[in-house]
Amino acid sequence: MVRLLSFFLLFYITLSASEFDKNCFDCHSKDFKFHIIINKYTLKYSSEQKIKEAMVDYLKSPSIEKSILPLEYIQKFGLKEKSPLDDKTLREMIDIYYEKFNLQSKIY
Amino acid sequence: MYRGERKSIFYVLGLYLSSTLLLITTIFVSYYYYERDQFEHSEKDLLKKQTFLLTQQLSKLNENSSDRYKYPRFDEFESAIYDIDKNLIFSTSKDISITNSKDSFFTKASNSYLISPLTPYYFGAAFIVVEKKSKNLDILDNLIFIAIVTIIITLITSVFLVNLVLRPIRENIKLLDSFIKDTTHELNTPITAILTNIETINSSSCDEKALRKLQRIKIASQSISNIYEDLVYILLNHKTSTQNIDLDLSKILIQRIEYFTNMAQAKNIDFVLDAKDEIHFKADKKKMQRLIDNLLSNAIKYSNKDTTIKILLSENSLSIEDEGKGMSEQEVEKIFTRYLRFDKSQGGFGIGYSIIKSIVDEYNIKIDITSKQKQGTKVTLSW
Repeated sequence: MVRLLSFFLLFYITLSASEFDKNCFDCHSKDFKFHIIINKYTLKYSSEQKIKEAMVDYLKSPSIEKSILPLEYIQKFGLKEKSPLDDKTLREMIDIYYEKFNLQSKIY
Repeated sequence: MYRGERKSIFYVLGLYLSSTLLLITTIFVSYYYYERDQFEHSEKDLLKKQTFLLTQQLSKLNENSSDRYKYPRFDEFESAIYDIDKNLIFSTSKDISITNSKDSFFTKASNSYLISPLTPYYFGAAFIVVEKKSKNLDILDNLIFIAIVTIIITLITSVFLVNLVLRPIRENIKLLDSFIKDTTHELNTPITAILTNIETINSSSCDEKALRKLQRIKIASQSISNIYEDLVYILLNHKTSTQNIDLDLSKILIQRIEYFTNMAQAKNIDFVLDAKDEIHFKADKKKMQRLIDNLLSNAIKYSNKDTTIKILLSENSLSIEDEGKGMSEQEVEKIFTRYLRFDKSQGGFGIGYSIIKSIVDEYNIKIDITSKQKQGTKVTLSW
């Protein structure tokens, strides 16, 4: 039983990770300083809940006001397109992203 | 010490002490709070500086890109950072918590804390809490000691003050007493001479007019003699030796009524006596005479003309009821005050009831005065 459960858990994680690679790293390639985004979000929104809410909100309907990037960057690269992911997947991806990159877990 | 004097001392002492104590308390409490504020202020200042140090370190740390960040630690103080929802991010001490605190500065278990908001949120920290060991504000013991010393000094000075305030009153009373003493002494010989000589005059050798005049002289002399006896009693009260013997009250009462008959007849007052025989009471004869004399002379003095004075003597009580002008309730309350006279048109020094009171108190006799204005007064002694 434990084996079965462990197997399913491992399968789920692998599946999610690959989903994250597909949905996020496709564009944000690995050499891209992905952690900078969470740095900016942390500086602006502080708590996990507020950071995640802000990310979901921005990815679902991006706007200059909601963006955490400096204006020059937006002017140069333009606004990000609206995410094609459904709400549930989007939240799952953000959870994985937060888990991987959040600053608070890096403090010792 | 006089009764009134003791009362005055208590009033003045009470007033002086309570106002001084109130002043001392106000000053000390204000001083204590002032010192506490100052202390808090300096503690807060120090904590602010420490918060600033920590903020600088966090800012520097946040600028670096790294997989791991070492939280800045200081020897002088402990610290913690919380996110905007007040969730703990990192803490160097277990004691720090901001969940229940409303104030930015507070002390708990000999530690001082300062909660400061932080922007931007380095590592998500919206609040920085700094904890340091607080110094002790040990002025309370000293303050209590100084307060006790001040109160003792106040007590001593208040006694001096009261004495100072009462000195003129005391001197006045002393003067009055010595005046009465001297007057009394000078009165004794002439009164005795007058009374003895009147007794020796042969009434049959006088015509009716002269006899009436003699009678008046006798009454007047008796009044003076009465006052003299009262004054002697008051002045020598504590010096005379008391001889308590078994007295026949009925006999004494009849004697005293006879003595006052002339005085009563002058105002056409009748005595109605209802006395049981052989009523015995153990007391000093002179004192009982003074008691009865004062009650009778008061009754005569304040009775209207052509009235009766009812005297009732039973096993356990003696009541004397006149048909005079009576007294108000307030006057009855104040009746035992020395030198107090309600009706200045009547003679006397106002010491009658004072004497009555001292004697009834001495022999545990209960005195009850009921009086109605314009109807009369009834004094009942019960034992």
